Amino acid sequence: MSNLLIIAIILALGVAGFIMGRGRALRSAGGDKRELHSLPIYYGANVALSALLPAAGLLAIWLIAQPFAINNAVSGLILDESIEETGTRDLVMADVRRVAEGLDRAVDTGAMDAEASFALNTDTDDVRDTLGSLGVALGSDVTPDTLAAAQRYRELSGTGNLFKTLAVIAAGLIGLGVTYLRTHKDFRARNTVENGVLLLLIGAACIAVLTTLGIVLSLIFNTIEFFRLYQASEFFLGTNWSPSFSGRGQTSALGILPLLWGTLYISFVALLVAVPLGLFAAIYLSEYASKGVRSVAKPLLEVLAGIPTIVYGLFALLTVGPLLVEAFGEGGLFGVSWMAGGTAVMTAGLVMGIMLIPFVSSLSDDIINAVPQAMRDGSYGLGATKSETVRQVILPAALPGIVGAVLLAASRAIGETMIVVLGAGAAARLSLNPFEAMTTVTAKIVSQLTGDSDFASPEALVAFALGITLFVITLGLNVFALYIVRKYREQYD
Amino acid sequence: MEDMIQVDRAMRTQQDTKISAKGVQVYYGDNHAIKDVNVEIDDKTVTAFIGPSGCGKSTFLRCLNRMNDTIDVARVMGDILIDGEDIYDPKVDPVQLRAKVGMVFQKPNPFPKSIYDNVAYGPKIHGLARNKAELDEIVEKSLRKAALWNEAKDRLDAPGTGLSGGQQQRLCIARAIATAPEVLLMDEPCSALDPIATAQVEELIDELRQSFSVVIVTHSMQQAARVSQKTAFFHLGNLVEYDDTDKIFTNPQDSRTESYISGRIG
Repeated sequence: MSNLLIIAIILALGVAGFIMGRGRALRSAGGDKRELHSLPIYYGANVALSALLPAAGLLAIWLIAQPFAINNAVSGLILDESIEETGTRDLVMADVRRVAEGLDRAVDTGAMDAEASFALNTDTDDVRDTLGSLGVALGSDVTPDTLAAAQRYRELSGTGNLFKTLAVIAAGLIGLGVTYLRTHKDFRARNTVENGVLLLLIGAACIAVLTTLGIVLSLIFNTIEFFRLYQASEFFLGTNWSPSFSGRGQTSALGILPLLWGTLYISFVALLVAVPLGLFAAIYLSEYASKGVRSVAKPLLEVLAGIPTIVYGLFALLTVGPLLVEAFGEGGLFGVSWMAGGTAVMTAGLVMGIMLIPFVSSLSDDIINAVPQAMRDGSYGLGATKSETVRQVILPAALPGIVGAVLLAASRAIGETMIVVLGAGAAARLSLNPFEAMTTVTAKIVSQLTGDSDFASPEALVAFALGITLFVITLGLNVFALYIVRKYREQYD
Repeated sequence: MEDMIQVDRAMRTQQDTKISAKGVQVYYGDNHAIKDVNVEIDDKTVTAFIGPSGCGKSTFLRCLNRMNDTIDVARVMGDILIDGEDIYDPKVDPVQLRAKVGMVFQKPNPFPKSIYDNVAYGPKIHGLARNKAELDEIVEKSLRKAALWNEAKDRLDAPGTGLSGGQQQRLCIARAIATAPEVLLMDEPCSALDPIATAQVEELIDELRQSFSVVIVTHSMQQAARVSQKTAFFHLGNLVEYDDTDKIFTNPQDSRTESYISGRIG
């Protein structure tokens, strides 16, 4: 039975449970809902929830656990020779699953009956051809042990699916039955539903946390794989980045330092643009601007935050880059020839800085507004001017929050990709000249994973190592930002 | 103008008039908050403004150092003279004025700085000290006047926000008197304090009277009776009655004053 159908059945049980539970509660009170402990809807919801939650939970666990169990049971059937021939156990297992799926499809479409599908034999039948005609392409002929494993796989999944269907529906029915019988006018359904709601919310929170954990784990495993193929010390300390696309790692130099340098340099330029502009804009908006100006200017500024970064990238490539070349390039306005092409640290940094302005200004604006009016009154009352008040009272009081905002902006700058891809160029180099093309960690992750590279090669796996390095840096910045904000938060309360 | 002051002086042989308000009207947008208030506040006297919430006493107090300028919708009309000079004259710099007319607020609002920097804030921005030693002296003198020196002298570098509520309010008073004002405005300075801290602040107000003219807004009639020599009763934006404190509390002329004082309105 398909999973969708099982879910539909559970849902139907839930609806039925709701109606039955509500009816039973009302009957036990003789139709007078004032006699009930809780509103009738709670009795219905209680029965529905106890039918739904255990069944759905069981289904979820089963769906995760079954493939693992079957894989373990089946992989024992594969002979060592097949593994040597194909390369890794995982690849053979992929073949096994494809054969099993192909045979299942053959049975479904009626090309083969169930008995015949189990009676196949590699000596007498050409399994590859049969499956090929059904649209399941296999890379090589099917070996006897692969076929045996595939048949075992089908058997196990068949029984597994049957038990799954039975167990899930049984869980639903038992939940429904038990709670239905407990439903009585004095039963505290309202409190039980409250617990159910709590479970639901905890579940949602768990999924969010577990997803993060999953992402981190997948990064870590692939990174470990990468460090098996490539020396960690060369990766972290190497000053040369030149991946080769044909070799298996021996000819590639994969040092992260030029990329990190590019990332930090571009982010630094971006913050140099964004922090003063954003902060001054925030001070103007929160302290000086009249209500009318503020109500127009603030949304306008925040429009900047809504522009997709690829559009900023285009702006960098087509407008800012050429402008900078006109100024700093050969024969340019300043008579210097620092800049050879439009793509440079400066181009990407300036545009990224513009992108970050609303980020800094809107956070700082909130923080400045949170400084109590009493501080301003106190300062004005002593005869301070507006700018003295801002400089000596409001900014010191808001400083921790502003530092937090800047650090958050920094972690955005470090993670930014599209502007860099289009604006900074693709050359990994360690240079101090901000008018030279450089590249960043994110841009290189993109270029290492796009195109058809072999996924098991160090050239592709390095993307995960780069990713986790970036993750650790931005995580560190975020934690530091939160620490600063927390530490000084209560200062003016 | 001089003539009028002369007349005032003649009428009040003992005391000078420090602040003189004539026909003051205040609007918050369309709301007419102060209606035609005339009042003469004496030098070296504590004057209390009493009245029910929303009667305009705080608004009127904020007119006296032009703090209402910081509110966009507020409009002030009429004349307010301090030492015979119209403070709403375009020639007057409100920033300078506020150094001369200090203010203490309802809730203690020390800056998130050290105790020393809190007190030194005003003298620094107005350039009142020629060197560090002079600044130290001003800080010490102000803290002494505010009866905070003994508690704070060993922790001048500690943040002002770390003091207790009563100490914070005395710090705010020290901060206000550090700029050597001539008038000190206090907007319910004790409403956020416990009785002991209130008693300390009230004692302080009585001492400050020697050097300044003090105007205090208060909700507590006992407080007005304890600390002030003159009392003004505001009701619905009008100045109902203004006289010696003893007279207001023992023999009010207006029936509204009497009702308020005996607790029937307000």
